[in-house]
Amino acid sequence: MRSFDAEVVDTDRLYGSTHILWFRPRPLMDRARPGQFAMAYCGEGADPLLGRAMSVHRLREGRDGREFSFLFDVTGRGTEWLSRRRAGDSVRLVGPLGRGFEPRARVQRMLLVGGGIGVAPLVWLADELAAEGREVTLVLGGRGEPQIFPPHLLPPAVEVVVTTEDGSLGERGRVTAPFERLLPWCDQAFACGPDPMFEALYRVARDSGLRKPVQGLLEARMACGVGICYSCAVFPRRGGVKLVCTDGPMFDLRDLY
Amino acid sequence: MDLSVNLAPHHKVELRLRNPVMTGSGTSSNGVELAKHYDVEQLGALVSKGTTLRPRRGNPTPRTVETPAGMINSIGFQNIGVNALIQQVAPIWEQWTVPAIVNIMGDTLEEYGLLAARLDGIPGVAGLEVNISCPNVEVGGLEFGQDPELAVDVVREVARNTSLPYLVKLTPSVADIRPVAEAVALAGAHALTVSNTIPALAIDVKRRRPALANVFGGLSGPAVKPIALRNVYLAASVVDIPVVASGGIMSGEDALEFIMAGATAVQVGTATFLDPEAPWRIVRELTAWCETEGVARLDDVRGAARRRD
Ligand SMILES: Cc1cc2nc3c(=O)[nH]c(=O)nc-3n(C[C@H](O)[C@H](O)[C@H](O)COP(=O)(O)O)c2cc1C
Ligand code: FES
Repeated sequence: MRSFDAEVVDTDRLYGSTHILWFRPRPLMDRARPGQFAMAYCGEGADPLLGRAMSVHRLREGRDGREFSFLFDVTGRGTEWLSRRRAGDSVRLVGPLGRGFEPRARVQRMLLVGGGIGVAPLVWLADELAAEGREVTLVLGGRGEPQIFPPHLLPPAVEVVVTTEDGSLGERGRVTAPFERLLPWCDQAFACGPDPMFEALYRVARDSGLRKPVQGLLEARMACGVGICYSCAVFPRRGGVKLVCTDGPMFDLRDLY
Repeated sequence: MDLSVNLAPHHKVELRLRNPVMTGSGTSSNGVELAKHYDVEQLGALVSKGTTLRPRRGNPTPRTVETPAGMINSIGFQNIGVNALIQQVAPIWEQWTVPAIVNIMGDTLEEYGLLAARLDGIPGVAGLEVNISCPNVEVGGLEFGQDPELAVDVVREVARNTSLPYLVKLTPSVADIRPVAEAVALAGAHALTVSNTIPALAIDVKRRRPALANVFGGLSGPAVKPIALRNVYLAASVVDIPVVASGGIMSGEDALEFIMAGATAVQVGTATFLDPEAPWRIVRELTAWCETEGVARLDDVRGAARRRD
C-alpha cells in the first residue's frame, strides 16, 4: 500500500482503441499476482482527483528486471491522460492491491473468459498457467473485431476462442456459448468482464450441475482502492456487504449470486 | 518544537494530541487497515467511520463520483455498528497511544444518548465526535445541525450520557454557521469540527440519470476547501473552544491555512484516498514548515490571518 512514481518505458495503441503502458521494474510490483491491481493517479494536481484501478496486464523481462503493464480503453479524462503518457513520463501508483486469482495447485485444465477489456488481467494469468505447463483455453468476447485482444500476442500453447456480437471475428454471439461448451472440459474457470457477464456465467455454471469453481474478477466504482472509503461495495445474494478492493476483486461467483 | 494540542481544554479529561493532524471520519475506515502499513503513533488522532447503534449495509452503488477537483459520496453509513466496534476494534485501539475518537450518528435524539452511553468508559476510546449533519427522522428530515435548538438538544443528550470529551461536527448546510457554533459551544461541547461534506448532485448524461444510486451525496476534496475555510474562520470568531477543520485539506500548506484561520487541529479526509500516506505526509510538511519558519508552537501562528478587531 505504498505510493510511488512509476516510469513509463513504452506505450502503444495495441488494437482498436485499446492502449498498453509499460513501466520500469519496481520491487513493489514484483510481489504482484495475476488479478491484483494498482491505483493509477492521472493528471497533475488534484484534477482529475481519484485514482483509476488498473489490473496488472502482463510482465516482461526488461533490461533492469521485470517490467509491468496496464491495458486500457480510453473511457474518460483519466484514461485519456494515461493514453498520452510517453516513454520517460511517470505515473503515480499505489499497489499492488487486492486479492488476485487463486489457481488450484494440482489441476490441469484452465478455462479463462474475458469480456471486452476484461481480458487485461487474464493475459498474465494465461502466461503463467501456460508456463507452468497447464492446458489453457482463453475465450475472448467483444462487440466486434476491434475489441478483441490479438491472439498472436498470446503464448502459442494457449488455445483461443473468439466471439463477437456482430460476427466480425470468430463465433457470432457472446462468451456464454463457448463457456457452456468448455465447462465440462475444465477443472477451474476464471473470468473478467462486465457485471452482466458474471451473472450469465454464474447461471450457466449453476445450471450445468457440474459444480465447477468459477473465479470472477469484479469491477467496481473505487475511490481509494485500499478499503477505507466503502465506495466499492457488493452485496452478496446471501446477505452482508463486501468491498471489491480488499475482499476481492476476485470472488468465487457462488459467493456472490 | 511542540506541535501538541488539547481538544478539550475546558473538560476534566484532556484530549491531548501529539500533533494537530487527525484522520477524517469515513475516510480511513477504523484506522486498522492503514495501521498495517504506516505508524499510527505519528498521527494526532484517529476518527472512526460514522458509527450507528445497529450495523448498516449502506446505500446501493454507485456510491461515489468524481467531480472537478472533488468527489461526491453517498456511502449511506455502512458500518459494523457500535457493539462490534466495541468488541472488535476498541481492543486494537487500546494497544495504541494515539487517541481514537468515535464518530457517532443517530437517527433520533435518543439514539445519540444510547451511543454515547455505550461508548462511555470503553478502553481504547479517547473521545467522541458527534455528527449532527444527518437528517432527523423525527422532524421530517431536517438535519439536527441545521437548527441551533435541535443541535443543542443533541449536545445535552450526549453530555448526559458520557464523561468522554466530545467534538460536535457541524454541517455546512446553513446560511451562517455562527449561530449553531455558538449554541453548541454554550451547551458545553468541548470542541467543534467544521465542517462536513456539502450536499451536491452529479448527472450522468450518457445514462440520463443521477451519477449516484442515492441521487444526492456530499461533496468533498479540494473543491470545498475555500468554503470550509470561511466556515472555520467564522466559527472560530464566536467560540472559545477548539475548532477542528475539515474540508479539502491535501497538504501541510492547506493545514496551515486553516490554522491561520483559527483552527486548533485539522482532519485529512479525501486526500487519504489519493495517497493512503497523506495524513503522515501532512504531519511531515507541517513539521518542516515550523522548522524552516522557526515556529516553536503552533499557537504562535494560530489565527494569524484573522482580522484583529
Ligand atoms: C467517502 C466519505 C465518507 C465519509 N463518511 C463520514 C462519516 O461517516 N461521518 C462523518 O462525520 N463524516 C464523513 N465524511 C466527511 C469527512 O469526514 C470530511 O468531513 C469531509 O469529507 C470533508 O473533508 P475532505 O474534503 O478532507 O474529505 C465522509 C467523507 C467521505 C468522502
Ligand atoms: S475503493 Fe475504497 S473501500 Fe474499496
